[in-house]
Amino acid sequence: MSATASQAITLQSKFSLKEWIFTTDHKRVGVLYLVGSFAAFFVAGIMAMLMRTELASIGPTVTSNPTTYNMWLYFHGAAMILGYQIPALTGFFTNYYVPLMIGAKDVAFPRLNAFSVWLFWMGIVLALLTFVIPDPPDIMWTGYPPYSVITPGNTALYTFTVLLIGFSSIAGGVNFLTTIIRMRAPGITWNKLNIFIWCTMAAFVIQLIFVPILGVAVTMLSLDKYLGTHFFDATAGGTPLLYENLFWFYSHPAVYVIFLPAVGIIYEIVATFSKNRIFNYKGVVYGGIWGTVILSGIVHGHHIYVSAIPDWLVMIQTITTLLISIPVGLLVIGLVGTLYKGSIEFKTPMLYVAGFFFLFLIGGLTGIPNAMSAIYIHIHGTQWITGHFHYVMAVSVTTAIIGGTYYVWPKMTGKMYNEALGKLGFLLFFIGVNITFFFTMYIGVVYGMPRRYYDYAQFPQIEGIQKVITFGSYIILLGALVVLISWIHSLIWGEKAPNNPWGSKSLEWTHTQSPPPQGNYTEPVKVSEDWNPYGYGK
Amino acid sequence: MHEHAIQHEVSWHTSVWPLALSIGVLFLAPLSFIFYFVYKNPMISAITLGIGAPLTLISIIGWVKEGMEDAHGYSEGHSVWAMPIFVVAEAMLFIGFFAAYWATRLTAPVWPPAGTPDMPVTIPLIMTAILVASSITIHMAEKNLEHEPGSKGGFLNWLIITIILGATFLGLSAYEWSELMHKGFNIKTNIYSTSFFSLTGFHGSHVLVGLGIFACALIPAFAGKVNKPFVKAASIYWHFVDVVWFFVVSQVYFW
Ligand code: HEM
Ligand SMILES: [Cu+2]
Repeated sequence: MSATASQAITLQSKFSLKEWIFTTDHKRVGVLYLVGSFAAFFVAGIMAMLMRTELASIGPTVTSNPTTYNMWLYFHGAAMILGYQIPALTGFFTNYYVPLMIGAKDVAFPRLNAFSVWLFWMGIVLALLTFVIPDPPDIMWTGYPPYSVITPGNTALYTFTVLLIGFSSIAGGVNFLTTIIRMRAPGITWNKLNIFIWCTMAAFVIQLIFVPILGVAVTMLSLDKYLGTHFFDATAGGTPLLYENLFWFYSHPAVYVIFLPAVGIIYEIVATFSKNRIFNYKGVVYGGIWGTVILSGIVHGHHIYVSAIPDWLVMIQTITTLLISIPVGLLVIGLVGTLYKGSIEFKTPMLYVAGFFFLFLIGGLTGIPNAMSAIYIHIHGTQWITGHFHYVMAVSVTTAIIGGTYYVWPKMTGKMYNEALGKLGFLLFFIGVNITFFFTMYIGVVYGMPRRYYDYAQFPQIEGIQKVITFGSYIILLGALVVLISWIHSLIWGEKAPNNPWGSKSLEWTHTQSPPPQGNYTEPVKVSEDWNPYGYGK
Repeated sequence: MHEHAIQHEVSWHTSVWPLALSIGVLFLAPLSFIFYFVYKNPMISAITLGIGAPLTLISIIGWVKEGMEDAHGYSEGHSVWAMPIFVVAEAMLFIGFFAAYWATRLTAPVWPPAGTPDMPVTIPLIMTAILVASSITIHMAEKNLEHEPGSKGGFLNWLIITIILGATFLGLSAYEWSELMHKGFNIKTNIYSTSFFSLTGFHGSHVLVGLGIFACALIPAFAGKVNKPFVKAASIYWHFVDVVWFFVVSQVYFW
């Protein structure tokens, strides 16, 4: 028997390029998403370092050309959201976990799944063309007209990048919703689904409803610019406000597409490492997760408070925006209740969870003034906003993504990682982001330093603080490199991982080997009446 | 059981078509558009189109063939569930364009704006009749498939009639566009033409995609291979395209 087992391992570890790039297996598609989204993270991170270096001193530092800064800013924003966070969460984690957690052998449409990931890669290729073409896009990640229509920059590149990645996401949504509805193993009923599965469903429902609206908005941009239509042309009866509305009608819900799966990952880690059931499961699912989905479509006005919308609408949007704290509160209470009286173990993934709590708390608290229109009009467009949204979304979600990757690592690679390296990476990252984004908020709210400026001769007094911020961002880079090193280290020297190193009760750990074979489970999964993915202490 | 496990390890499922199709799509739309409209280089645009169009077509054909053989037992009738979900996304696309139309129209000081000729009445009515008829014929095709599984004859005939109706619809649409353009009414003319051409064009492209889906059902059917859930899904899509047309025709022609 041991002979056959070791034979299985050698066969499995024989690398075949063909089996990777033509794969239709959801786990491998997931890994392709992981590689693609981290590549986007890396390049967009380089852009962040360039911007931070530019801002370290007054006057030209890296470039003397503001358009170059704009190009970095464009690439950074667009790639971080569309190329890194959304695909890492709804591509990588979703692909890896969903079929395993519901006991399915694959997704409903394996080839459509492979098409999704490659379409996403083509979107990345297109985005990367930014660096080689003449007149790259210079329209931030928001692409507002009229500038985006009259700029010499290549707005079409933006349009098509969004369309490719958007279509990839819609295909993913159709695939995964069908999978979850149709392919749950016998005995896995709706109220026994992992929280992550619910979060995925919610995220994809949002994507299916709102991505098309973004698609329409960016299509109209290129129609206006290249075919001469008048959607956003105020001289012919169109209006740029139309774009702002369509854009934020998607892009506000997009934060939940990012936030919900991130919280889902946090839930899985918390339950596993505190060996506890989910506190208030139904409240979390039906109130927290679906409540967020329901509110997501009626709050986007808070992004355009200063863009000529009527006062009564501003009032309504202030209220609906503040209402969001109810479902989000339910999600947080569920997490705290799950930790409470659990037997908590501080492995690397759990450290990232702690980081998430802290960063999200700061981000959430600094968001409250932004929601209130009366305060917002004074802080709008300053670095305060930049600091706030990096806390609430950029870096808090990054802790979920990196922590979640550490969590799934043994299952995915069959190797353990080195705890010391894992913890060191976290520490550097955590210190770095707090230095960077605390002071970013500070120069925004205290000095009124505007965002999206490549120079600040009017603010000589903040040059010192700017240097501190830039220093902080280098620490982040260092942390990211340690994370990368720990992964490479594990791939080469890591110990073989057991099937269930964390002692989780969830199906992907209890019912299959690490890494799982083609088809996931050697026998069809069937769970008993009293099975529960969080059935600890029974 | 371990023997079995090894069997699984070595045979990772693969398909070349998803990757090929994604490359085809990249060349076909984004690159061709960008070279033509942004860099004003029709030569390179023609080359990218020359790579993209055949690659896309070949990939789709390969994909459909593979799907019909279904070596891995993928097709378990999920498409009937997937299509309605996809239709939600499609509907939102149209809602986006309609929202733009309503927003600009309801704030316009005069309507129709200057430069708009008298809009045709008979052709859109004929087009409506054709599309409704085609919804009925595809329904008949489906019915035939259910009731006489042995003979594919009835199914094939109804499907072909549906395709002909769809193609006629597109032909009429093209004819009408060219008439209007002769009168100097094109996509650039004014805010009405902007919405008119984008909505009808966008709907027309959906009809075209619908015909493509039908072709993917028809050609294997000649060889006696029919995937019922696929036909059902195609029919759901077609009914959707039909329903959207009612909105298009009532909003941009008769309002
Ligand atoms: C981890 C280290 C990061 C650093 C040091 C960093 C730094 C920066 C800087 C300096 C700016 C430009 C501020 C300005 O000129 O107004 C910026 C903008 C932005 N960042 Fe980051 N960032 C990081 C990560 C992320 C991540 C993970 C995301 C993912 C969502 C993200 C999303 C954005 C967005 C959306 C913008 C605004 C772009 C725009 O104004 O159009 N960033 N970031
Ligand atoms: Cu928002």
